[in-house]
Amino acid sequence: MSTKTPSEEDILRPINTFTKKYVALYAVSALALGAFLVAWAYQLQQGLIVTGLGDWGSGGGSTWGLYIGAFIWWVGIAHGGIILSAAVRLLGMDRYLPVARLAEMLTLAGLSAAGFYILVHMGRPDRMVTSVLGHFHITVNNSPLVWDVTVITAYFVMTATYLGLTLRYDVHRLRDQLPDYLEPVYKIMTIGYTEKEDEVIEQMVWWLALAVIIMAPLLLHGGVIPWLFSVLPAMPAWTGAVQGPQFLTIALTSAISGVILIAYAFRRAYDWEHIFTDDIFRGLLLWLGFFCLLFLWLQVQQVVNGSFLGPTNKSVATDAKIGHPVYLFSMGLVSATLAYIFAQAIRPSLFSKPRAIVAGLAVLTGTFLEKLLFVVEGFLHPTFDIYAATPGEYFPSIIEWLSLVGTIGMVVLFFLSLSKMVPVVELHAIEHLNEDHAHEDTTAATEQEVKA
Amino acid sequence: MSADDESFHPLGHEAAYEEAKKNAGGFAEMLKSLGGDGEDSRRGVMKKMGAGAAVGIGAWGTTQGGDEPSVSAAEAGGSETTEQGDTQWGMTIDLERCDGCLSCVKACAQENNLDQGVNWMYVLQYEDGGPDSSRNRLVRPCQHCTDAPCEKVCPTTARHTRDKDGLVLTDYDVCIGCRYCQVACPYGVNYFQWDEPDISTEQIEEAHSDTEGHMMTDERGRWVDSRAPRGVMSKCTMCPSRQDGFSGEEKVGTSACEEMCPPDAIQFGDMKRETSDPQRYIDNPARGRALVEMNSSLPSTSGLEENLSGAGSDLESVLEASEDLDEELLTVMKAAEIVTENFGEDDADSVQYEEAILEVFDVLASHGLDLGSQEVLVELELASEPDEDEEFEGADEEAAQEALVDYSGSPSSNFKLLEDIGTNPNVVYFGNEPGPTAHQTETPVAYSDMEADRADGGSIQLVDNRKDVLDEGTVGDFGVSL
Ligand code: SF4
Repeated sequence: MSTKTPSEEDILRPINTFTKKYVALYAVSALALGAFLVAWAYQLQQGLIVTGLGDWGSGGGSTWGLYIGAFIWWVGIAHGGIILSAAVRLLGMDRYLPVARLAEMLTLAGLSAAGFYILVHMGRPDRMVTSVLGHFHITVNNSPLVWDVTVITAYFVMTATYLGLTLRYDVHRLRDQLPDYLEPVYKIMTIGYTEKEDEVIEQMVWWLALAVIIMAPLLLHGGVIPWLFSVLPAMPAWTGAVQGPQFLTIALTSAISGVILIAYAFRRAYDWEHIFTDDIFRGLLLWLGFFCLLFLWLQVQQVVNGSFLGPTNKSVATDAKIGHPVYLFSMGLVSATLAYIFAQAIRPSLFSKPRAIVAGLAVLTGTFLEKLLFVVEGFLHPTFDIYAATPGEYFPSIIEWLSLVGTIGMVVLFFLSLSKMVPVVELHAIEHLNEDHAHEDTTAATEQEVKA
Repeated sequence: MSADDESFHPLGHEAAYEEAKKNAGGFAEMLKSLGGDGEDSRRGVMKKMGAGAAVGIGAWGTTQGGDEPSVSAAEAGGSETTEQGDTQWGMTIDLERCDGCLSCVKACAQENNLDQGVNWMYVLQYEDGGPDSSRNRLVRPCQHCTDAPCEKVCPTTARHTRDKDGLVLTDYDVCIGCRYCQVACPYGVNYFQWDEPDISTEQIEEAHSDTEGHMMTDERGRWVDSRAPRGVMSKCTMCPSRQDGFSGEEKVGTSACEEMCPPDAIQFGDMKRETSDPQRYIDNPARGRALVEMNSSLPSTSGLEENLSGAGSDLESVLEASEDLDEELLTVMKAAEIVTENFGEDDADSVQYEEAILEVFDVLASHGLDLGSQEVLVELELASEPDEDEEFEGADEEAAQEALVDYSGSPSSNFKLLEDIGTNPNVVYFGNEPGPTAHQTETPVAYSDMEADRADGGSIQLVDNRKDVLDEGTVGDFGVSL
């Protein structure tokens, strides 16, 4: 463990430095997003025919594909992020307090990427407001897609509130060390702030966290998003009550991986060994391992039901799934990660941060591929698969792949920009770490004394 | 479901009651609907129809989702309505009469100016493990489900059921192209408009310049008919412009596909009306088939008159004198009349067939042959000779029904597609139901052998698998598949 004491200066470093590496990463991310925006413009001009999608049935295609797969993936990362942060606050897991804000920011970034995907996926995105909002009071009774959009919006608002509230505390206290050109932003953020509100805010944040945790299984990735698929009876690859829990584990594994990657990047860039300590990474890895285990367990549940004396439609879908190289590869990635995490838990010397990074990347790749395949499989193996053209064909076009690159660029840009405006580690965490330090120092001292 | 008497309710109880309330003086009708009486002639017929015919059609006319709010009035002030029209357009399709000629597919493409591969109507041949798959065909329009899953999932109300007649339509002006309806449809009847359609709105408008709504907007002023514009969903519409009378009164109650079907395998009409074509077909498919089949062999009235002049008026002489009328044909003609209430009346399409038969009967009657007489009926085996001390009971419906079945065969079974999913489809099939492992093979006529004319004056080859067309527009087609 580092002996450095975390300071306000530390957490302000991203705001008050400007490096070549930062510019380079910014440029690359902007380029990625820009490339996709151009591709999207072309799609808007030509129609969705530029994708690899088609009509399932006699049309031999897949109705939804990478856009929806990536949408779910991003929503999962986002929902996992907010659950993580809420758990930290609610259960007082102070060890992880330094990454809580990163998780919240990841939620906002992930939801933005997901929201963007909704637009990209539509045939007529220009009608989103008139057609969807205009009939909301009717469609909300039935359409899982409307629930979806509702929940995503609700969570965006909740997370932004959450983040906004905790930021007021920091911005007010650090105001003098923040750049002046952003003065108007800080003014708005801290409007009406008095130190008396701290206690109230703390309570509000606690209640919000409670709400997030309670609603997680039902409204977030454990409910509404999987219902988009699992409630449809004629697509055996999707139906089933296991999808809710399954989606939730995917969300949590993806989000923890995301937080590991982002925390690592900040740690390297700003010498934050004493803030994002090895201890945090070890802890996150263990949690990742735990959720990987749940993920694989639920995959087994899903696959067993169907491969042993299933009804015809279910058997066909299950056989296709377990025989699919992409599925096997993605399960392999998650299993290998799990094996590594267990091994390093038993033998701590196996832990290293680069390995933690590889684990995070492996899980994110695994969950992305699983989601992509999941979406497509429904169309390839429907109950009514009499058509010669079913199972159809689908492979994402260049434009669809670019969307993934573009949204990753977008999320990186989001962090790069936000880190220049507000501290990505909250002041509370620093205060807390310092308390610990003080505590540790005394224990260390006592130990020494004992030895002596 | 079994075909026993108790389970056969042409209407479910509640719906039957509603129906009865509507029919002035319809108490008898109601009893009949409830299926509790023993005298009803139709019930006798039902028994005779054999195992298949009464199976699976128990719930006709009932809308199990009748209390589901329909959202089609959404745009008018955004209020829900639970109003249900008196009409429910639908079809029966006799798969055993389909020859797989694809005329209906072509007719639909022409009527709606569809792009290649957009087969709102689709016909397929399939194998199902049985020894003989020559009659395994499926004709697949949209099922216009009463509980349409596509409508339930639509985030915009673009996909809606038209209150007045139960058609499930897409409002092209509201749809955002999320394709969830295509995802939720168990049958795969939706076709998204991935790019600019071949035929422009202007071209369609021009081609139908004197048709109200230009075959695109319906009675309510909503754009729901003909091919979809770019970025929105489309599927079989069951021709709302026709149903709204924009194509002329005579086209109301018809669809492009049924009109062009050479063997008349498709019966389009109001599923809620007992006397509509599909409902008559459901009641008695052997009768429906026989009417179609004998229609082409009916003697012309003038020819018959000529043949008969100078001949005797007894049955034997009449049959001998006429060239195109033999005993079998006459038996079936008479049998059709015997089993039909209000023969030759009403406005169903099949009534034309009945009228043609009645015209022949008129010629025979004026020649002096009494088809209702004991002698003739017994001779034609449509009545049994009474014992000496008994009175003649008139025509025997059971015998008549048997004659019809002998002539045209009775379908092996009838079914609705994926009925257990709870969609309540409004298409009833006669023939074999494809099993869960059935898979498509080649149709007798290839899609590429068919040409459809469109509003731009040109024509296109039909395409079976639309992906072949769409792949051309994919940016970076890797040629592999997940
Ligand atoms: S594609 Fe259009 S009609 Fe279909 S569900 Fe989406 S908005 Fe509704």
